[in-house]
Amino acid sequence: MSAERGLTEVDLSAVPETGPVPPVRVTGVSRTVLANGVAVMVVPRPTVPRVEFRLSVPAGAAMGPSAAAAELLAMGIPLGTKELDQAQLAERIQDLGGSLHVSQDHDRLYLQAAALSEAEEDLYQLLADLVMAPEFPAHDLATERAKLMEGLRMARAEPHFPAGEGLGRLIYGDHPYGRPEPSETTVRRTGRQALLDLHRRSFSPWRAQITVVGDVEPRRTQARLRRAFSPWQGPRRVPGLPAVRAGGSDEIHFIARPGSVQTVVLAGSSGPSHGHPDHVALTLATAVLGGGFTSRMMSNLREDKGYTYSPHARLSNHLLDGLATASMEVRNEVTGAAYLELVYELGRLASLEVPREELETTRSYLSGARVIMLQTQAGLATALAQVRAHGLDHRYLERYSEQLAQTSAKEVMAAARRYLAPTAMTTVMVGDPDAASQLRALAPVRLVRGAGRL
Amino acid sequence: MVLSPERSSPTVGVGVFYRAGFRLEPEGRTGFAHLFEHLMFQGTTNVPKPHFGNLINSAGGLLNGFTRHDYTAYFEVLPASALEMACYLEADRMQFLDLNEETLRNQVDVVKEEVRVNVLNQPYGGFSWLWLSQYAFSTYPNAHNYYGEFADLEAATVRDAREFYETWYGPGNATLVLVGDFAEDQARKLVERHLSSVPARPAPPTPALDEPLPKARQEHTRIDPLAPTPQVAVGYRTAPFGQQDHLPLALAARILQDGRSSRLQRHLVGEQQLLLHVAGGPHYPIGDSFEFGGPALFTLEATPRPGVTTAAAVAALDREVELLAAEGPSAEEVERARRRELAAYHAGNDSRLGRMTELGVMAAVHRNPQMVDELPQLFSEVSPADVTRAVREWLRPERSTVLHWQPPAAGSRQ
Repeated sequence: MSAERGLTEVDLSAVPETGPVPPVRVTGVSRTVLANGVAVMVVPRPTVPRVEFRLSVPAGAAMGPSAAAAELLAMGIPLGTKELDQAQLAERIQDLGGSLHVSQDHDRLYLQAAALSEAEEDLYQLLADLVMAPEFPAHDLATERAKLMEGLRMARAEPHFPAGEGLGRLIYGDHPYGRPEPSETTVRRTGRQALLDLHRRSFSPWRAQITVVGDVEPRRTQARLRRAFSPWQGPRRVPGLPAVRAGGSDEIHFIARPGSVQTVVLAGSSGPSHGHPDHVALTLATAVLGGGFTSRMMSNLREDKGYTYSPHARLSNHLLDGLATASMEVRNEVTGAAYLELVYELGRLASLEVPREELETTRSYLSGARVIMLQTQAGLATALAQVRAHGLDHRYLERYSEQLAQTSAKEVMAAARRYLAPTAMTTVMVGDPDAASQLRALAPVRLVRGAGRL
Repeated sequence: MVLSPERSSPTVGVGVFYRAGFRLEPEGRTGFAHLFEHLMFQGTTNVPKPHFGNLINSAGGLLNGFTRHDYTAYFEVLPASALEMACYLEADRMQFLDLNEETLRNQVDVVKEEVRVNVLNQPYGGFSWLWLSQYAFSTYPNAHNYYGEFADLEAATVRDAREFYETWYGPGNATLVLVGDFAEDQARKLVERHLSSVPARPAPPTPALDEPLPKARQEHTRIDPLAPTPQVAVGYRTAPFGQQDHLPLALAARILQDGRSSRLQRHLVGEQQLLLHVAGGPHYPIGDSFEFGGPALFTLEATPRPGVTTAAAVAALDREVELLAAEGPSAEEVERARRRELAAYHAGNDSRLGRMTELGVMAAVHRNPQMVDELPQLFSEVSPADVTRAVREWLRPERSTVLHWQPPAAGSRQ
């Protein structure tokens, strides 16, 4: 294979040596639980005079009665309270040198806010008022509905949208993790009352986590958070989702998008998430396959063959499973050839141990990327908020590189065989239907015409 | 060379900024500056193709590059112990780049896939940054397709690459930026050891880029077969760096469109229900107010509500800009915009890449890296009257170009 050429025969002795990747250290962590159940973590990190705030509640995109309600709940939060409309709220936050974004993964809704540290107390008060009593004013909500419908129309015109929706459907079936994006009809039908109900049921202080990182004095910050968030009342329990029973398909589901100049290839399988014994091994296997500049997908499919621009693999960590995916966009005429190389790389990873040096490079790459991500206030706050949602904490982030070091090539191969093997992956493609004929020699193909609903 | 030690975490950022961007790629070679960026990752005679990335990843580092209008940047963020290696590798590819037919053809293929994924296979591909400048300017450097016509990409030769490399990628046209965990004298020694030996290659002066300001509004339409709904962009010629209106226009951009408290959001998205989305500013959506060394646009992009025409959307944007020009902003609006600039400044400084990019652009494009740390003060000196003056001078309809981005007419879609 020319992708591996030259790795052993070159004299690199003139290149200056480097040291080990430094360990992750998260120091000064303090925690408390408010009387109403809110779990608070504060980390001083005075690099710049700012403070980063994350609050998460179990109101993710897969929660609630419908995708429309879940997404409109997130879009409706910044619309303000009875006292402050959306423009006034935005003004107040900007006066603090701040920002506010609401985001969701499958499981949780995150309020991500920041401010100059001198304004931290005012920020907490604004956010507490908002979390306790969002108003979802009917007039502004109508605009958000129009935005969502327009956003969905635009998203459906992109090739990745039907690919992701199709893969979710094939792997998760009727489980909410596989729920399709909302239809215009359900968006139109979801009114203010539905959001008030969903907010009341899912914004539970007992299931809420607050993470603050920045130029703060932890004791004082805790007291400020307590003052702001103590009045928050809500249900002790929030119904969770049923366990994932992952399915899949041996057929390539090829969604017709006539006129496409590329085929989008998306292969995936349901695996473990944070804390599972296979998780670190699968993280390593996924990175060897398609994480970063020197991964196998990059070396083979891009740097050797020139089939694609940014082939990559990743592991998305949901609460109930981890979705491992490999994806790329390739020009129509190499659809079959590119799929063949992908299958080769998946099979190689599942059948042969990763050579020592390559595994060592991947460990260093992952450890280093973690160190770099965690050195900003925002990066650390986001990472902490995410692992805390899984019941883990800063020590999990600190132990990561040690866990990578302790995971052997055999374990990586075992994880790849179980979760990434060609037979474990379900493949969806979106492209011009003429390209599908190139695949028939390699796998059974189901051609899907129409809106891409599988 | 710019050094900015900051020792709170054990990493460094290393950037090399070459004053060679889209605008100076030769005619008949559209897209070449960006294609050449790809070639800078293809190995040298000392460190062949896959080793450059392997060495950086093995050290626990990240790497990438980006091409802009007036510069191209290459960077690594890595553990502090890898600083010397990064200096070595940057010096190495400044001198010994292995330009050959095989990697050139490979990267032409890769760049064509990049154009397909980002432009040709996407609704709204390249809207509006890639297209608006092609209508708003008239001379080749400012008005060509920066991603590259496929015919031009395919026609690129190793000889073109050598010539571009020798002309624009010498030390005389490069700015080295180091940020992060190092002592200044130690960094100076490393740079001395590895980069001082690179033979001088003085760069030719950058070609003249300026164009006269337009005298009448131009309107253009592009049909996007993949777009389900229309969008529109208005590009005004913006004040150049150093001109008295340059910083006031950055604040005007925030007052107009930044967040739900901004004028366009409040009035046009909220009260009048004409738009669903609006965004913009100087150089939008590329970088910030300091990206450009030549003529540039202050862009406003809008998505009209269903049933509202792009012409009506433009008329609404015009009314709001006119109102701001006529009445000026309130003191509170200006103060809020300043606080946003301050917050953005601090957030940028908190990451190695952010700090390195600010310093690199200001040093390479404007020869003034000190200005990065003067920005909070400079913005605090901008008055509401300055913003009013800048809006009146620059955000005039007759100095703007409008690009209507339309779906195919009903019935003509495949």
